[in-house]
Amino acid sequence: MFLTRSEYDRGVNTFSPEGRLFQVEYAIEAIKLGSTTVGVRTPDGVVLAVEKRVQSPLLESSSIEKIMEIDTHLGCAMSGLTADARTMIDHARVTAQNHAFTYDERIKVESVTQAVCDLALRFGESVHDEEAMMSRPFGVALLIAGVDELGPQLYHTDPSGTFMRYNAKAIGSGSEAAQSELQDKWHKQMTLLEAQKLALRVLKQVMEEKLDHHNVQLAQVTPQKGFAILDEVQLKEIIDAM
Amino acid sequence: MIMPDMDSLAHPQERRFNPYTENGGTILAIAGADFSVIAGDTRQSEGYSIQTRYAPKVFRLTDRAVLAVNGFAADGNMFVKKVKQRLEWYHHAHAKDMPLRAIARLIQTMLYARRFFPYYVYNILGGIEEDGTGAVYSFDPVGSYEREACRAAGAAQSLVQPFLDNQIYFKNQEAAQGTSHPSHLPLETVLSIVIDSFTSATERHIEVGDGLEIFIALSKGRTLQGMESIRGLQELTVTEDGERLFVMRRDLKKD
Repeated sequence: MFLTRSEYDRGVNTFSPEGRLFQVEYAIEAIKLGSTTVGVRTPDGVVLAVEKRVQSPLLESSSIEKIMEIDTHLGCAMSGLTADARTMIDHARVTAQNHAFTYDERIKVESVTQAVCDLALRFGESVHDEEAMMSRPFGVALLIAGVDELGPQLYHTDPSGTFMRYNAKAIGSGSEAAQSELQDKWHKQMTLLEAQKLALRVLKQVMEEKLDHHNVQLAQVTPQKGFAILDEVQLKEIIDAM
Repeated sequence: MIMPDMDSLAHPQERRFNPYTENGGTILAIAGADFSVIAGDTRQSEGYSIQTRYAPKVFRLTDRAVLAVNGFAADGNMFVKKVKQRLEWYHHAHAKDMPLRAIARLIQTMLYARRFFPYYVYNILGGIEEDGTGAVYSFDPVGSYEREACRAAGAAQSLVQPFLDNQIYFKNQEAAQGTSHPSHLPLETVLSIVIDSFTSATERHIEVGDGLEIFIALSKGRTLQGMESIRGLQELTVTEDGERLFVMRRDLKKD
């Protein structure tokens, strides 16, 4: 793809003669540079796990935030240009709160995913001769986990604004190896603990560093307790049990 | 040429457009354990004249939600139209019918959005909750709302509500030794209370009469027990194997 670079690379809203939007495709490539992120769905809830790349011994690993809360029943893990995810999660949070305000109920996981994806294709859009609000596609992919009346669900979104529901999904630099491992190991009747261990084991396989409670983060969304990021003590327990 | 009359030149006179009218009529809803009954008369009047003997005030929203609207008829009709539009949008966005309690909250936000030029309407929302219980929500014109077991609104509210307080909530009634009042009444009893309420209101209030429409929302899986003897019962249910909705119509005195 990089060899065929052409004038169609530049315009974000210009199709190439082969019918491609290069900037969107490059944005999808950007995710493959990000740290590995894994999501696993079970009947008891959804687990999200991310690798935190601690580039320097002086870096405070607790300041790396790659899993965020959208609402009490919704969580989100990211890979790619994580700064872009702020905009998307902000939009998701506003959408979820507006829904609760207007309808006195929790928004569905699919609906909030749809709202985020609506935003993903707004790049290059402008009214009259105003400056476009977003000049390029988002360079980030999200795993949105949540629980609603349809049970625990896991959605994947990418910069093209496409979203799909998964039982288990990996994104980021180690995603190919991680995804095939998930395909082998995931089964329908997993417990939440099995899912936590699977997510960590998959991360462990694709990480360069040795996995410990400083360089991974684990979160879950359950019907009982909603979204929760596991603290270091809980995380250590699961790592020891692996 | 009309001569200006000297009196009016001497005193300043104010003229004003009044955007609201009061169109009379009464609505009423009662919740049972697994059903809800929502009713309204069909007379529409302005002052001493009857504009029409058949103007519906009770509307089917979904298979489990019915909205009764009373006050200024033009505002009421427009409000129902907008609620129905929002329900359709919601259905497209979220791939499901809006639950009753969500409709109740939506109605509040829609009413309060017009806080400084309100829809001059009193709303009563009846239907079946997600947990299968019968429910009634009542609203004021700017959106304050509350879930209740029963509520009357409109021209004959002051006649009907005290009757309901006595017959539904058993106010001013002492239960016999060793017994207690039921928290929910059977459908047959509720229907006869509704019909009695409207025939009585028709007798004593000039703005109530002509026709009566009673909507009955049944919880999922409830049998038609208590409805066998109802004449002219019409089913309005659209989707199978869920809640069921019926309407019955009766004449009221036209004088």
